[in-house]
Amino acid sequence: MQLEKVKIHIDTKVQYLSHELLFLAQSGQPYRGTIYVNFTSIGETFNLQDFKKYITSLRDTTLNAEDIAYAIFHTINASIDTKELGVVVDLTARGGIQQRICFGTEFNVINKANIFQVR
Amino acid sequence: MDEQEYKTKRANEVTQLGSAQTQYKYEYAPQVLETFENVHPEMDYWVTLNADEFTSLCPKTNQPDFGTLIINYIPNIKMVESKSLKLYLFSFINSGEFHEDVVNKIGKDLVKLMEPKYLEIIGQFYPRGNISIHPTFSYANEDEKYKEIEKYRFLNRNLNPQRVG
Repeated sequence: MQLEKVKIHIDTKVQYLSHELLFLAQSGQPYRGTIYVNFTSIGETFNLQDFKKYITSLRDTTLNAEDIAYAIFHTINASIDTKELGVVVDLTARGGIQQRICFGTEFNVINKANIFQVR
Repeated sequence: MDEQEYKTKRANEVTQLGSAQTQYKYEYAPQVLETFENVHPEMDYWVTLNADEFTSLCPKTNQPDFGTLIINYIPNIKMVESKSLKLYLFSFINSGEFHEDVVNKIGKDLVKLMEPKYLEIIGQFYPRGNISIHPTFSYANEDEKYKEIEKYRFLNRNLNPQRVG
């Protein structure tokens, strides 16, 4: 899926996160997790409505868990030009095992709760 | 009942737990729910099931909704088996349901399945438009004791409003 480009200032540090990732394992079982995207702008970012649609489109996509960060990275990289793009995906535990999958430039994630969400 | 009898009984009661060929349903599937027998029916005790990965769709926009369901119940004879509950809840992935409706629908399905002494479900859905919705379903059987529990919990819900944000 192509994400629409949006012009922004050069050298803006951008980090997006979504707690609403869902995709399917090879077994058909759902994976749930949080996506973190981090980059430095070289003059553009992507339309967030498109990004929301892209995340939603993963709900019926089957992937190995370890490939999810690459899949997201590739979609962003094919849509906009950035510096130091990195993607981190934290998956919820399956069978007692938690997974963090990273692709691209390493960065420290900033974890924010959903606003107004009771924890 | 000795240990072997107990294991045999439990193994025969449920089919999906431990199955190597789990079939995931992508449409509403109450038929996947399974029960096992409560072997302590003389006791009143709480069972809490937390489902942090519940998801369905908005019936109007088809946008995904997410939430946590907290299921509390006092079992009678039948108890819901948790893997079948997982499969049942996942079957809502493509269902268009308002939060208030889906919590009641699940509550009614579980009441029909188990005929519990008491059951409640609290839905804590992710915010949409800065508003998060938390519907509560509750049911008690005809016994006055459980009617009292339902009444007490209904009247006392959120006397101390939860901090949000």
